[in-house]
Amino acid sequence: MNLLARFRSWLKWVVKGRKLEAEMEVEVGFHVESYAADLMRKGLSQQEALRQARIEFGGIESHKDAMRASVGVRCWAELGSDLRYGARMLGKSPGFTAVAVCSLALGIGANTAIFSTTKTILLDSLSVPRPEQLRVLRWEFPGDQPMHSLSGDLERTKAGATTSSSFSYPVYEALSQHGETFENLTAFENDIPEVVASVDGYAESVSVQLVSGNFFSTFQVTVAQGRALLPSDDVVAGGGSVAVISDAYWEWRFARSPAAIGKTIEVNHIPITVVGVAPPSFTGPRPGSGPEMFMPLSMQPIVDPSVYEGVNGKHEDGEVWWLAVVGRLKPHATDTQALASLEGGFAQVVKTTLTSKGHKDVERLRLLIEPGNRGLEKLHNEFTETVRVLLVVVGLVLLLACANLANLLLARSASRKREWSVRLAIGAQRSRIMRQALTESMILALLGGAAGLVPGYLGRNLVPRVLHQTAPVHFDWRVMAFTFAISLLAGLVFGGFPAWQATRTDVNSGLKDTGHTTTGGRSKALVGRSLVVVQVCISMVLLTGAGLFLRTLHNLMHSDRGFQSEHLLLFDLGLPETQYKTVASRAAMFRQLQAQIGAIPGVKIVTFSGHALLAGSSSTTNFDPDGQKFPQHKHAWRNIVGTKFFETMGIPIMAGRGFSDDDSEPSPKVAVINLRLARALFPDENPIGKTFNSEHIRIVGICGDAKFRDLRMDPPPTYYTLYQQFAAGNSATFEAKAVVDPASLTGAIRNAVRTLDRELPITNVRTQDEQIDGTLRRERLFATLTSGFGVLALLLASIGIYGIMAYTVSGRTNEIGIRIALGAQTGQVLRTVLREAWWLALAGVGVGLIVALAMSRVIQSMLYGLRPTDPITSAAAATLLVAIALAASWIPARKAARIDPIHALRHE
Amino acid sequence: LEIHQQGSLYPALYRLEHQGWIASEWGESDNNRKAKFYSLTANGRRRLHSETEKWNRMASLIASILRTTSEQI
Repeated sequence: MNLLARFRSWLKWVVKGRKLEAEMEVEVGFHVESYAADLMRKGLSQQEALRQARIEFGGIESHKDAMRASVGVRCWAELGSDLRYGARMLGKSPGFTAVAVCSLALGIGANTAIFSTTKTILLDSLSVPRPEQLRVLRWEFPGDQPMHSLSGDLERTKAGATTSSSFSYPVYEALSQHGETFENLTAFENDIPEVVASVDGYAESVSVQLVSGNFFSTFQVTVAQGRALLPSDDVVAGGGSVAVISDAYWEWRFARSPAAIGKTIEVNHIPITVVGVAPPSFTGPRPGSGPEMFMPLSMQPIVDPSVYEGVNGKHEDGEVWWLAVVGRLKPHATDTQALASLEGGFAQVVKTTLTSKGHKDVERLRLLIEPGNRGLEKLHNEFTETVRVLLVVVGLVLLLACANLANLLLARSASRKREWSVRLAIGAQRSRIMRQALTESMILALLGGAAGLVPGYLGRNLVPRVLHQTAPVHFDWRVMAFTFAISLLAGLVFGGFPAWQATRTDVNSGLKDTGHTTTGGRSKALVGRSLVVVQVCISMVLLTGAGLFLRTLHNLMHSDRGFQSEHLLLFDLGLPETQYKTVASRAAMFRQLQAQIGAIPGVKIVTFSGHALLAGSSSTTNFDPDGQKFPQHKHAWRNIVGTKFFETMGIPIMAGRGFSDDDSEPSPKVAVINLRLARALFPDENPIGKTFNSEHIRIVGICGDAKFRDLRMDPPPTYYTLYQQFAAGNSATFEAKAVVDPASLTGAIRNAVRTLDRELPITNVRTQDEQIDGTLRRERLFATLTSGFGVLALLLASIGIYGIMAYTVSGRTNEIGIRIALGAQTGQVLRTVLREAWWLALAGVGVGLIVALAMSRVIQSMLYGLRPTDPITSAAAATLLVAIALAASWIPARKAARIDPIHALRHE
Repeated sequence: LEIHQQGSLYPALYRLEHQGWIASEWGESDNNRKAKFYSLTANGRRRLHSETEKWNRMASLIASILRTTSEQI
């Protein structure tokens, strides 16, 4: 009751302060004048009466102040004056302000940038209506994957089970029939293949999301232009040649022209009509990456023929699991109900489509249901992991910047000791002094936060861009709130101690001139020293991280690939299926291309392959040697290549022979296997001459092990077959070994291709080394960012060490003077100062080492060729830090050694 | 009313009003000047009552202490 009345009165004053101030003036004036009138009646002159009235009233201003205090609005006015005073004090030392604000801005900016990315990737729901109704289906199986072919995600749980969100088309159909608890169930390819799209004769590579006809209605996405894809588009395999394009693609290819709707473009040389544009907020069912086009599942044979190799468009194949299934739950339906309604149908269809192929235990395949509000995110998405590591790194940088701020503030409050003492002496309350100091640190923190928004805004797209992710990062009020919150926190926590320290000023000693005494400020120096130790510790962690990532990058770049990547030019080429219908015509064309390109001066030798090496692409198949009593159902990696593949790539033939031009279409099918495969499947016998997979493929040679998909993976068991004997796809990557600079050959190669077929586009021209670099983006990002932040950390730590040592030396001037007067040598004085710095650095390095060891376990999976406890990295980081610490304290140490004893003794 | 400084009255008045025990109103004084009138609110009256009780209790206690004779101790 009382509280309410008080609050109302306070609010009234806050809102109508000006008017009430005026009334207060009138009230006091009325009192004085009335009293003066009384006095005049008693016979005093007007002037004398007024004077008397004022004397008896007392100090008008101080009473007014007390009146304000009694309604609780004085703190308001005080805050204003604190702010004004604080701003003036900061303005008076622009150097200090600049360093403090800049280091905070850097720390806060880095956090803002990474947070805005994180928020988009880890926290935001899909921007579709009622995302909380969406569910993602997933399965789990104890043991190895029970289906023949699986694309999309596949993970192994800790218990050894496999789990994935990919299903076969028959399973999707069965689930749809049993989905009473769902408003809709949609399926889309659990992968985003790249296709060649040519718009007005300009061919480029874009990514396509294949979706079932009810995809847009399930997600309840309304297209921005034209129409969405409809179930009627997704009927006949190979039919439904329509596409909805993404807003981003509409922007950069069609300049947002309305004419894009209804336009015919060619996708893998098949004409497709653009029927709609997705809204900018919807970039697909996967946060963090977005396709340029959405096309019906029925277009799979054209868009992604590799899903069903050789058997174009037979969605009925229950052995091929490649679709993600997402449903929209009916209102009030629960997950348990949904799962119960689906399980029966699921078990049934799995039994009929998988058991027929002889897989065991398929009844143990269990269906799971997961929330789908964030779309389909893989549990251990590479991007998620990256963002988490970056969050920790920028968090450390912020901590470092804050420690620096605290140290600066401490030094500053030491130099302002006299000022505080004077204020205390003339009657300031300690709480007022503390508030004043805290206000100043808050001003600094908020300035730093505001300045940090700039690098934060500029850097928000940096990480997604480096990793080639197309998620638009939203810089909204939540990011602003985050920045504001960390600024406030930084100001409060790290400004709090120096402010409290300020209130402990001893008036008596503070007013004496010296300011520096040998005994005074011991606790302050202790806090300063601890802060320096913390700074060194954080720097140690960051430097260790930088070292680990740099060495990982170095190890990956210099790892043995098993083939020669130098002077190799790569490009992709796809033969339009409409023109090159038969295998023979495609094989003939590839042979002609090989001959034509091989004839270019500067090209030493040329070949082609189904998969480019170290490009993140691969395929695996069964590998069952014929005539074995107990077939092991082993998997092997396969690459379909041209005859000169081994010579061009520099992969040695260890036994038998490589391919030759005599291995043609009609001649017996041949294969070359690598050492790894030979050792795994033919441990005690000579594999040459053996056949496998009941296809009478004869092994003719054994080649050296070469890395296949990425640099991190050891060469897998691999076999190579010839394109002319296994012409599955109509596209291939050509590899040309050059004797000159490979990049200079691009024009000549284009011309050579054009002489054979004017319409044939060559895409994605790059050198093999560039190709490898492309797979190292994340490693490079980590190495660059952690080294950058490591250098920043070194800089901040050296400023900290310099500051604390300079402070100590100036505090000990007197003592050092006496020592020198008593005969201490320059070297001895130098050593005394350096020894202290040495211990500080050592303490920081020691703690940092432990913290770094604990933290590096988390990044173990991101390292390559070294353990997280890598001694070289730790030793290098420690040496660097100690060296920097000694260098930073050299200047104060020199100053100490040069102290003139006579001067120093007078100093007191 | 004898107080040290007449101005000290006002912070006290403001505090009472802030706490909701008295209310103020601008009006006309006897000689037709603008003046502020303070009055007790219902809350203030209750508070005054309870404070008065307290005071009286205390005063009577003190009075009874002063009345005691040495034999009674």
